[in-house]
Amino acid sequence: MSKQIKVSIQHLYKIFGDDPQSALKQVEAGMGKTELLDQYNHVLGLQDINVEMADGEITVIMGLSGSGKSTLIRHLNRLIEPTAGQIMVDGDDVMSFGPEALRKLRRERMSMVFQKFALLPHRTVLENAATPLLVRGFNKQEALSEGRKWLDRVGLQGNHNQHPHQLSGGMQQRVGIARALTSNSDIMLMDEAFSALDPLIRTDMQDLLLELQTELNKTIVFITHDLDEALKLADHLVILKDGYIVQQGEPQEILLNPNDPYIIDFISDINRARVLRVRSVMDRDTSDSETCVAEVDADSNLESLIALSNGDTSLSYRVVKDGELLGVLHMQNLVRALVPTGAAEDGVRGKQ
Amino acid sequence: MATYDFIFDGLGLREWCGEETKTTMSMSDLLAQRKGAAESSIWELPFPSLDNLNDACPAIMQTRNLTSGLEQGFLGIRDSLRVVIDPITQPLSWFLSGALELFQTVPWFIMIPLMLAVVFLASKSWKLVALVASFILFLAFIDHYDYSMQTLAIIFVCSVLCVLLGVPIGIAMSRSNALQRGIIPVLDMLQTLPPFVYLIPLIFLFSVTEPKLYGIAIILYAIVPVVRLTDLGIRLVDKDVIEAADAFGMTDRQKLYKVQIPLALPNIMAGVNQTIMMSLAMVVIASLVSAPGLGVLVLRGIRNLELGVGLVAGLGIVLLAIILDRVTKAALARVNTSQQQ
Repeated sequence: MSKQIKVSIQHLYKIFGDDPQSALKQVEAGMGKTELLDQYNHVLGLQDINVEMADGEITVIMGLSGSGKSTLIRHLNRLIEPTAGQIMVDGDDVMSFGPEALRKLRRERMSMVFQKFALLPHRTVLENAATPLLVRGFNKQEALSEGRKWLDRVGLQGNHNQHPHQLSGGMQQRVGIARALTSNSDIMLMDEAFSALDPLIRTDMQDLLLELQTELNKTIVFITHDLDEALKLADHLVILKDGYIVQQGEPQEILLNPNDPYIIDFISDINRARVLRVRSVMDRDTSDSETCVAEVDADSNLESLIALSNGDTSLSYRVVKDGELLGVLHMQNLVRALVPTGAAEDGVRGKQ
Repeated sequence: MATYDFIFDGLGLREWCGEETKTTMSMSDLLAQRKGAAESSIWELPFPSLDNLNDACPAIMQTRNLTSGLEQGFLGIRDSLRVVIDPITQPLSWFLSGALELFQTVPWFIMIPLMLAVVFLASKSWKLVALVASFILFLAFIDHYDYSMQTLAIIFVCSVLCVLLGVPIGIAMSRSNALQRGIIPVLDMLQTLPPFVYLIPLIFLFSVTEPKLYGIAIILYAIVPVVRLTDLGIRLVDKDVIEAADAFGMTDRQKLYKVQIPLALPNIMAGVNQTIMMSLAMVVIASLVSAPGLGVLVLRGIRNLELGVGLVAGLGIVLLAIILDRVTKAALARVNTSQQQ
């Protein structure tokens, strides 16, 4: 990875219970989640988490409910204290921060968007958006004008003086995003930010986020339980199960080489043709590029290729990115990539 | 021979009990003597209470010694208690006499419009202003204006003090579970103790001529709801919003004033409404210890069997109660609509 590491989590453990430290010793000695609950009545929340989040990328942490993803994101700004482990932000050890330094971190370097919006119901939309700056003690005019700017940017021009309860869910979450952007922090934590929204509005919000991201290049940590959402947004995907990381990496990589029945099961439901990109299935050998019928972009998805080729599997295409020839795509390989990673029957669900 | 002689004889404590000294004879003793020593059946076995044990063994004290001991104890610490409590509570006397003075010296043609203006500011409802005006004018028309003003003055001072003391106590309770566990039994006791019982120790502590005597009784009785509902209101504030406040780096103070209190306000206001209603209830009882106002007339009705006086004063109290309740509820409703989720 050429990108600089912005946030890194190392050997992070979280155990809920009366005496987490002694329970930690058991876990380090190899005790599993169920035994720990049975014998010591402690809940193993997170187990040996190691993640590196690169500057300017969207890291998506995905898992089903109860997998510990919301717990994990709250460790980054220490809304939850870890039992053991290290959290580094820009090379600073967050665990060594006192209350004052921690507050400064939360005010200036990290902002957060919540699943249930968590706006202040007694304040107007504009005051809500300006909250991070008002908390920091900016003068009111300055804070409000900054809030106004970001509200306009997320598409809420006419609602500045309304109260949150007068807005729809999607609009409230736009306020939530505007509030996070107003703080002008490099890192944005998004805890299931779109999960409470209707599917159509959710797609809109995802597009808005990607659009903002191309412009602002924040380091975003995004939590979701929705694989389609994860694959759409992620530069780096972390899959969490029962408090440990099952697999992490580039989303296309995980899709083509899942290393766990749990993930195979997960991805068996999705439309592979829509998610997989040309660059993931192409041949890097460009020697037979003369036989190709056309050029395609490396980032277009397989579905568009199927449409382009009209279903003819004998064709090949040149794969280019920014005018540079990257490889050759044979339609036969494309069809092969669409074969489900078997095992829906052998997977977790098949066993039940 | 008393029923429980056998215990002391059996345990060999007869020596310790000492000789039966001739004490003053009570009525029941006399009656028992007249009936003669009835043969005791098991059905008449008395409970081994202090008095019955005392019959068998004079060294054991009687129940009347217990109550008089309590009284002696209280009288014993009274003077030192007074040294502490008297100066602390002195401002209450000043506030009460000041307010009584103020409410009565301001002439009616200024006072009534002033009150109606306050009603309008709190409720923004002309209908309510008309209702309040008709009630007050009616009370004034039947020559109960002065009494009503006295009652209102006392309620005003006591309610304000209840809020000033109760809200901080409620906030402190909401922040510490230990404090909450400690205070809740005290609140339960204050709420269930019959109101007359507050008056008894207070009469011993302070002179009956001082306003703070009934002031303290009213505040103790009426402070409970505002404390409880402040605590409850702050604890009920949406956890997600609190988390957001933390995530954006609010200090505890910012969280309290910008998030918790504003969001708990509907509950706090409900507590204030209850507090006002309870101080009205207590101000009537407090007329027993010289609190002026409509309660005095009710008391006169009871004492002299003046049915009409008592009933009209009772009606006046009902009218005041309706006024206070409606105005505070209207203010509460306005807070509610401005911040529904």
